[in-house]
Amino acid sequence: MDRKGRTSFIVSFLAPAVLVYGWFVVWPFIQAIQFSAFRWRGLSMNRKFVGAENFVKLGQDDVFWKAIGNNLWIFAVCGAAIVVLAVGVAHALRGGGVAAKVLRSVYLFPQVISLVAVAVLWQFIFNPQGLLNAGLRLLGLNNPPTWLGDPSLALAAVGVAFSWYVLGFYIMLFAAGIQSIPDEVFEAAELDGSKGFHRFWTLTWPLLWSVKRVAVVYLVINVMNIFALVLLMTRGGPDRKSEVMLTYLYEQAFTNSQFGYATAMAIGNFAVILALSLAIMFVFRRDPTLRRA
Amino acid sequence: MKRILANIFLAFFVAGVLVPLLWVLWSSVKAGDRILAAPWELPRIDAFHWENYGAAWDKAGIGQAFANSLVVTLASLVILLPISAMAAYVLAKYPFRGSKLIQTLFMGQMMFPHFLVIVPLFFLLRDMHVLDTMTGLVAVYVAYSLSFTIFVLGGFFQALPNELMEAAMIDGCSHSKTFWRIMMPLAKPGLVVVGIFVGIGLWNEYSLALVLMPSAQNKTLPLGIANLTMTQQYQSDWGALFAGLVIVMAPVLVVYWFYRDKIHEAMLAGAIKG
Repeated sequence: MDRKGRTSFIVSFLAPAVLVYGWFVVWPFIQAIQFSAFRWRGLSMNRKFVGAENFVKLGQDDVFWKAIGNNLWIFAVCGAAIVVLAVGVAHALRGGGVAAKVLRSVYLFPQVISLVAVAVLWQFIFNPQGLLNAGLRLLGLNNPPTWLGDPSLALAAVGVAFSWYVLGFYIMLFAAGIQSIPDEVFEAAELDGSKGFHRFWTLTWPLLWSVKRVAVVYLVINVMNIFALVLLMTRGGPDRKSEVMLTYLYEQAFTNSQFGYATAMAIGNFAVILALSLAIMFVFRRDPTLRRA
Repeated sequence: MKRILANIFLAFFVAGVLVPLLWVLWSSVKAGDRILAAPWELPRIDAFHWENYGAAWDKAGIGQAFANSLVVTLASLVILLPISAMAAYVLAKYPFRGSKLIQTLFMGQMMFPHFLVIVPLFFLLRDMHVLDTMTGLVAVYVAYSLSFTIFVLGGFFQALPNELMEAAMIDGCSHSKTFWRIMMPLAKPGLVVVGIFVGIGLWNEYSLALVLMPSAQNKTLPLGIANLTMTQQYQSDWGALFAGLVIVMAPVLVVYWFYRDKIHEAMLAGAIKG
């Protein structure tokens, strides 16, 4: 092949993407690490190097810990519910039938519509006069809760909206995982007398190992990145009961102009995601199906 | 019997997905003050309140926001797709010293959340005087879509046989002519899928737009809808808002419907390999 034009061809074809990426992605990434070591309110003259002060402050910030706690609560409670429901639906989809056919074509709807629409929609479902409470009143419950206004229910209500939004993605993952198990495996189990729940628990569930690992890592990423839902549904309230890391970060940066501190918080958020992902990789380090083979 | 039970179970989920969406749809043609007064009440067929759509489009500024979103999304794709295809092609077909490193660096963005860079990005755009402009937003959208697009298109180019390239070069095509005349057209299915997938994401994007478009001008559709919930709060007339919700959701659902199998594949490929 023509070697002469090769180098200039490679350079000219890579240059636009590399330049845009370097300027808008890599450079801000480097700056983020730098910013976190400054006390800075956005005026370029007034930047003061403070070393690790922002991180020390972050460690002592009760609201931040509360926000992490709320993120972790959604991860544990909604995450478990999502995995159980997604596996159940994916399993039922194998059977075929009308409902399976319809569900297959609609289950990704919530995932493709705008998150803003999801947030507004669920805000109105949970409105004291909204779809949910009107339904409860029709059923004869006369004093339904205010949901988003109720300190003990606000986070759970946001969790429901979150689960509705992401569930389709996890159904898709598990459906693909179940589909990749050859029919012969199920037939062989049937011949051995393994059926129903026993077959599911001893065969399907362990065989979904790699999909489970992917799913849990995605759950960590999805949950730790929750922002728009909380901002639009509750603004973190009442009394920070539904505050999450990113809504608190947004408030510190763009309401209080604590830009250095907010950047430190962003690094904290990233560290939580990395730590949890590594922990998951460790938990799922061995493929249980390999032992049997 | 088991199949019937499974179908009842699944029908429950179908309802769970569709009822909230249908509620938005039927509420959007009800009188604004009836939406929360009687949420389960269906609109009267002979008295649809189409004026909600007019109110959303004109008075509430959703029409302008729709146009802005369309411009931002299309402009981003027009810039993104060629430069990603060029990079993906070179990385897939022209290995050189350091090409693996560049590839790894390009994947890096998918590993960290946007919020990690949101503050530096805000000041970068401010210092470039493109904060609050569609130009700035498009630049950021292109930059933060490169990783995924290069990743998926790389797979497409890798699958195209080298013999095609070699034949074209023997016939006297230059490297770049081979790309534009032969390889690019062959990768078109991939470009369409990635374009639709990324386009849907950008149409819906909220967090970056919220930070990078702080004032009310030039707002994109998700910002417009979010604004509308605030401004209409004191009127308890929600007709325009619900019409606005339909306006933001409908185009995406229509596009999704036509390309659902392809989108499904792209999502799955991105999720499992990415």
